Amino acid sequence: MNNAMRTTADGAVTVERYQGAVADSRFRRLWNANAPGYLFLLPWLVGFFGLTLGPALISLYLSFTDFDMLRSPGWVGTANYVRIATADPKFAAAMKVTLTYVIFSVPFKLTFALLVAMALNRGIRGLPVYRAIFYLPSLLGGSVAIAVLWRQLFAGDGLVNAALAQIGIQGPSWISHPSYSIYTLVALSVWQFGSPMIIFLAGLRQIPQDMYEAASLDGASKFRQFYKITLPLLTPVIFFNAVVQTIDAFKAFTPAFIISGGTGGPINSTLFYTLYLYQEAFGNFRMGYASALAWILVVIIAIFTAFSFLSSRYWVHYDD
Amino acid sequence: MTFSINRRGFMAGGASLLALSGMGVPAFAEDARLRLIWWGSQPRADRTNKVSDLYKTKNPGVSITGEFLGWGDYWPRLATQVAGKNAPDVIQMDYRYIVEYAGRGALAPLESYMPSKLNLDDFDQAQVEGGSVNGHLYGVSLGANSAATVLNTTVFQESGIDLPTQATTWDEFGKMAAELTKAGKRRGMFGTADGSGNEPLFENYLRQRGKALYTADGKIAFGVEEASEWFDMWNKFRESGACVPADVQALDKNDIDTNTVTLGKSAAGYAHSNQFVAYQQMNKDKLALTNYMRVAKDSKGGHYRKPSMFFSVSAQSKVLDQAVDYVNFFVKNPDAAALLDVERGIPESKAMRDVVATKLDAVGKIPLEYVGGLGDLAGKLPPPPPSGAGEATDVLRNISEQVGFAQLTPADGGKQLVDEITRILARG
Repeated sequence: MNNAMRTTADGAVTVERYQGAVADSRFRRLWNANAPGYLFLLPWLVGFFGLTLGPALISLYLSFTDFDMLRSPGWVGTANYVRIATADPKFAAAMKVTLTYVIFSVPFKLTFALLVAMALNRGIRGLPVYRAIFYLPSLLGGSVAIAVLWRQLFAGDGLVNAALAQIGIQGPSWISHPSYSIYTLVALSVWQFGSPMIIFLAGLRQIPQDMYEAASLDGASKFRQFYKITLPLLTPVIFFNAVVQTIDAFKAFTPAFIISGGTGGPINSTLFYTLYLYQEAFGNFRMGYASALAWILVVIIAIFTAFSFLSSRYWVHYDD
Repeated sequence: MTFSINRRGFMAGGASLLALSGMGVPAFAEDARLRLIWWGSQPRADRTNKVSDLYKTKNPGVSITGEFLGWGDYWPRLATQVAGKNAPDVIQMDYRYIVEYAGRGALAPLESYMPSKLNLDDFDQAQVEGGSVNGHLYGVSLGANSAATVLNTTVFQESGIDLPTQATTWDEFGKMAAELTKAGKRRGMFGTADGSGNEPLFENYLRQRGKALYTADGKIAFGVEEASEWFDMWNKFRESGACVPADVQALDKNDIDTNTVTLGKSAAGYAHSNQFVAYQQMNKDKLALTNYMRVAKDSKGGHYRKPSMFFSVSAQSKVLDQAVDYVNFFVKNPDAAALLDVERGIPESKAMRDVVATKLDAVGKIPLEYVGGLGDLAGKLPPPPPSGAGEATDVLRNISEQVGFAQLTPADGGKQLVDEITRILARG
């Protein structure tokens, strides 16, 4: 750009015409000043363009094709999207399972994480050790060991039913019953509360102690202190955790994949959206259709996130 | 002192590097690099790698890299590699997927190499035919197996119930299984697994009734009547306690580890003969193999000898000749056969079968004798399943669960099964 508009002190607008050489040297100066920065960013930039943005754009293109991974893609227009909207009962089933999972797992997980964080925030000894122990389940993530462990817990002759039998209840095989299996996955998600807990803990530490002191001098009960001080001051952290966990829950794949062995069963009761997408892409060779499914998920997550941000102005308090 | 390099120096260095690498090409032109991929466990990998080593000593200058994954991870990986034009030269292929891959041009036709470079003369010709799609040979069978019932003989004995024989019908077996459950020798153990969602078992039932899963041109080959009666039979087994309840069956992920026999939930389960050795390794009780039950006393031909897996050669391979030679070595070299044993199924080549038979232990002999002794229970190999068959398998499982959990009646289940499979096959 060779022309630059400038407002002079008296308010008149003048247009200066730079000479090419001047602009060039200016660009060079800028480059010289920032080149090391870009150099350091390079690995990330390569990753972002090569592994995230590039494939995402390609998948957008593929979502309008009948790509089957083995032959070259043929353009089908919006046929994939039309089919998803009008003629795919499995899409509806997967959507229902995923929404159930999001609606149950996120609030329970956040509540649990907050409770544990508050328990750990009372200046107990050996805090780093407890923190590490409570974080451990999150690290185990989606390993096959979890699938085995969950079966030991929630199968018909598992630990949970053994405990229930003590009080005279004979439970079903929770993990393989279509009415309950999704809730064993919710339990798995709640159990892996480590990362929101760490963030809550950091947030709790930010709350000035003198507020509590003042409140207890005024005779406020613990509950009232929690309700009037902790919760409002923690809302930015809660908001952050809620957004991150909601997005994560929509994208959840491994729990259902390992526990149902990739089938999403019994009777599609654990057919997470991403699992269905995976089955279509890699099991049934419908990469084009799966790409369309993926983009619909992107839009749904975007809508949920936008909604969270819009609602945040009514309940999130930033103390500035 | 600092090291610096100017632009000219850099260019010169780069050019000489390029030249060097260019020079390297003619010197190694005769070398071939073979890449293999297969699914399976570590023992299979050990056997396969030993065969590769043997091949390398006989063919100096050939290098071989093998890659193996579990069944579930294998297919996504293979599809991704093929789509990325990076397919391995030799690909282990399954009967269920060979039509998908061959039909999409991913596999090289091999018939032009026969018989000089690929000699399958002493193969059972029906099994060779099993690797053909539209008249071209796309896969060389690595072994034969057949679907089979796995029986926990210890539990049958404890309960004082005779083992089923080749003459046992489903009705009789249902009664035996219900008795075994009632005998209650093992806590939480039922007579049999719930096989209503098991595709090979359903196929066997259909074949005995003169039907099949698919026609040769890829259409559905059974009707609502058979499907409904199938679900109804299993509903009765469920009611009488002969088979495990639906929520126990749903634990089965269609592998050896989670089969109800391995989990100690049933005394009979449904599997494939080549899996027997692995089943016996995972069970303390003594196991045996028998056929799938008869629909009626005189019904036959439900079973068939099936190529358990193939080696195919990628159409993208740059070393086609070498890859074909490796496959030929794999199925025809006696030393290779001795290393491979019956782990991938019973060798198709008669000469190799003889090599292996002399070396088998008691457990290894069971599948060999079982497949050899099927008699009139075995019929013709059906045509390879059409595109979409994988999805149809999932539908059978899904609907069988809906019937099992009493969300559908057997009659509605049968109707829905036929409807959905018809729709999937039409979509392709």
